[in-house]
Amino acid sequence: MIAFIQSLIDGITIGSAYALLALGFALIFGVLRRLNLAYGSSILIGAFAGAAVFAQLKSGGWAVAVATIVAAVAAGVYVERLCFWAVRRGAAIASMVSSFAVWMQLDELLALLFPGRTLAFPALVERSVFELGPFQLRTEYVVMFALAVALMAALEWMIRATRFGLAVRAVTEHPEAARAMGVPVARIAFWAFLLASAVGGAAGYLMASAEEQVTLHSGMALTFTGLIAMMIGGIGSLRGAVLGGLLLGVVETLAKAHLGAWHEFPVFGLLFLVLVLRPGGLLAQDFAARDAAALRRV
Amino acid sequence: MLRLERVTRRFGGIEAVKELDVEVPPGARLGLIGPNGSGKTTVLNLISGVVALDEGAIFWNGARIDGLPTHRFARLGVARTFQNLRLVPHMTVRENVWLAQHSLPGANALRRGTEAEIARRARVDELLAELGLEAWRDAPVAALPLPQQRRVELARALAREPALLLLDEPAGGMTPGETHAMRTLIARLVPPAVTLIVVEHKLDLVAELCPRVAVLDFGRKIAEGAPDDVLRDRKVMEIYFGRSFPSPAKSGGG
Amino acid sequence: MDDYLVSVLANIGMFSFIALSAYLLLLTGEISFGQQAFFAIGAYASGIATALWGLPFALALLIGAAAGGIAAGLVGLLTLRTRGLYFAMATLAFAELVRLGLQQWVYVRKIEGEPVGPNGVDGFRGIRYVFENNIAPAEFLLIIAGLLVFVLAAFAVAERGRLGSMLRLVGADPLLAESQGIDVKAVKVAAAAAAGAVAALGGCLFAHLNTFVEPRNFDIMLGVHSLAYGLIGGLGTAFGPILGVLIDVGLLESVRVFQGYRMIVFGGLVALLLVFMPRGILDETRLRWLAARLRRAPQHHAQA
Repeated sequence: MIAFIQSLIDGITIGSAYALLALGFALIFGVLRRLNLAYGSSILIGAFAGAAVFAQLKSGGWAVAVATIVAAVAAGVYVERLCFWAVRRGAAIASMVSSFAVWMQLDELLALLFPGRTLAFPALVERSVFELGPFQLRTEYVVMFALAVALMAALEWMIRATRFGLAVRAVTEHPEAARAMGVPVARIAFWAFLLASAVGGAAGYLMASAEEQVTLHSGMALTFTGLIAMMIGGIGSLRGAVLGGLLLGVVETLAKAHLGAWHEFPVFGLLFLVLVLRPGGLLAQDFAARDAAALRRV
Repeated sequence: MLRLERVTRRFGGIEAVKELDVEVPPGARLGLIGPNGSGKTTVLNLISGVVALDEGAIFWNGARIDGLPTHRFARLGVARTFQNLRLVPHMTVRENVWLAQHSLPGANALRRGTEAEIARRARVDELLAELGLEAWRDAPVAALPLPQQRRVELARALAREPALLLLDEPAGGMTPGETHAMRTLIARLVPPAVTLIVVEHKLDLVAELCPRVAVLDFGRKIAEGAPDDVLRDRKVMEIYFGRSFPSPAKSGGG
Repeated sequence: MDDYLVSVLANIGMFSFIALSAYLLLLTGEISFGQQAFFAIGAYASGIATALWGLPFALALLIGAAAGGIAAGLVGLLTLRTRGLYFAMATLAFAELVRLGLQQWVYVRKIEGEPVGPNGVDGFRGIRYVFENNIAPAEFLLIIAGLLVFVLAAFAVAERGRLGSMLRLVGADPLLAESQGIDVKAVKVAAAAAAGAVAALGGCLFAHLNTFVEPRNFDIMLGVHSLAYGLIGGLGTAFGPILGVLIDVGLLESVRVFQGYRMIVFGGLVALLLVFMPRGILDETRLRWLAARLRRAPQHHAQA
């Protein structure tokens, strides 16, 4: 039982980083209704930039964090302009395939710039463990969790309380109406994308500091973690993305601890099951109601 | 014979159609009128199986058909047009109308050269000629002006050789001249054996085409009968012209 | 024919199958990230048929295609209510489950003293049918070409008749399709099964040419690539996905100049292409335009 709860705690901690990934992914999807397959790679660009700064300065701290986020955002801008803004309205699959192509580009760019494949990354805080009753908590994980939660709270505030957030919600729920009401959809999409890249960069920073290294080709895992977490929690729901991320972290951790060689099955098994039984994800809107609205256009 | 028995359909909290009872004998022509939001299109959606009903039943030739999947309605002989036009924009006029024949008996999925297929395609060309669309046959349907597009919708519905034909605002967006032309075409091209239900805003089109008319308001049927009678009914005048309208004088309305 | 050219052509051929598979599903309006699952099922099933059960190649092809088709049909049935992006993710999840499953599955027998068969993460060795029957790579290439022509012919027949436009209608406007009497669900499941069988055929050929396959061959990358081929080459015709494969495998394999920068160049080209041609090079509109030009050309000559 203790081991179970320990796994749960660890799972929620890593899950908080996944939740950030999912949030970024969901922001882009909500506003653009398109999948960004280059998400993970652009975050990885950030992480490697941070690692490069660390290698130069030999010390961690703000410089590395800023470098990570700025580079992730820069990569995000490139992706947004080429794969999303430039692609005709309605051509969602084209955007997706385009982002896949750019994923390949960014991966190769990193491989050329950093042929060593793995770089060191500074830890957030000194490694230490403290005890909370029968449970062991790694300090860096707790800090990571706290930072992730703070970021999520800030994001929630932004979405709920600012004009920008309102515009984002409007575009997410009803792009046509938002457009008709004069919301500059393309501009909102751009800033949402930027925000998502920053959030992703933060997630990447947290995860890299937990691992204390960055590795090439982890772009795919980042993208699909974000995507899967978003799907589990339900498309169009930022809260769902957070739930999905936490759930994913927990399932993964429990699986790694108890299932040995089969540890990757539960995630995909769960995903498949959720999609077959509740095609909209756990927190998604009722399809029937949406359908009715669509049918009224008939 | 089409029969709707206490049919009710809700969307969210709103009753789009409320306890509708309607009987349409074979070969009859019924007009369905009412203000915007009165549920006319929902009724068509229910009859064509696009939307499921919440209460009541729909009978076609004695058999109960509500609850069947949408494509079964089509196979039972129901064809319809759509208020917002559902044409495939990049396909030509002919190709759009050919779509109607995919599930008709004798349609061959793989071979173009069978007798049945050739006969079918000839029938489509005939229809298009009757509808004055001959010159547009190979044009992409998106290039046509609206009245012509509505004729393509009509051609597609007629190409299904239906037993029950549902027209949803067939003259939507047309000028009076175009409406008149459309009305003539419908009157001429719909075979007498086919049961016809027309949803329209334009009272003159409905009144000329349909010997019987039903009026909906907020999902309920409030009047049914010959167009002249119905259109002079007090309740009907109220919903169309408002409470302050004076008692009807014989001003040739309808 | 030099060996390198043969191997490039063989790859183009084999990947065409999985590209066609993703394309077929795209026609019916479904994005699949998971066709590599059926490619894998075909590879393993046919490999087992020849290497472990000693069956002839033709039978192995049938078994592989059937296994892929049935699996794909089942997945299609399960995912009937799942739409759009959710469907894409479900196919991805399924494909990963297949790959992970193959990583665990061991079915090894001693054939003539050697262990042969799927061996979990280490893959499936010993699919030696081509060696045992003295089939040279060039000859195998003919087999690949022959099967590909057969599949393309099937697509061509479908496009000429009603089947092609029926599939495309289901993809473009399922509600309209239903109101024309088309059973959209049945069409989607049937298309899924056919697509699975086509991908599986490619897998059979892949396994037998390479004599060794491992779960790693069938990862998400293969799936996303197959989708990309159709988008690049164009969705207007079955030759579109083939064009996409040609461009990726053919052009870039041969252009050594770009060694090391290949993906940067290719990725950039693809992204640019999709800005101007979001449905690929040979998309429906462009094909119609081409067809119209070709129809008019003879008249020009007559008048001149």
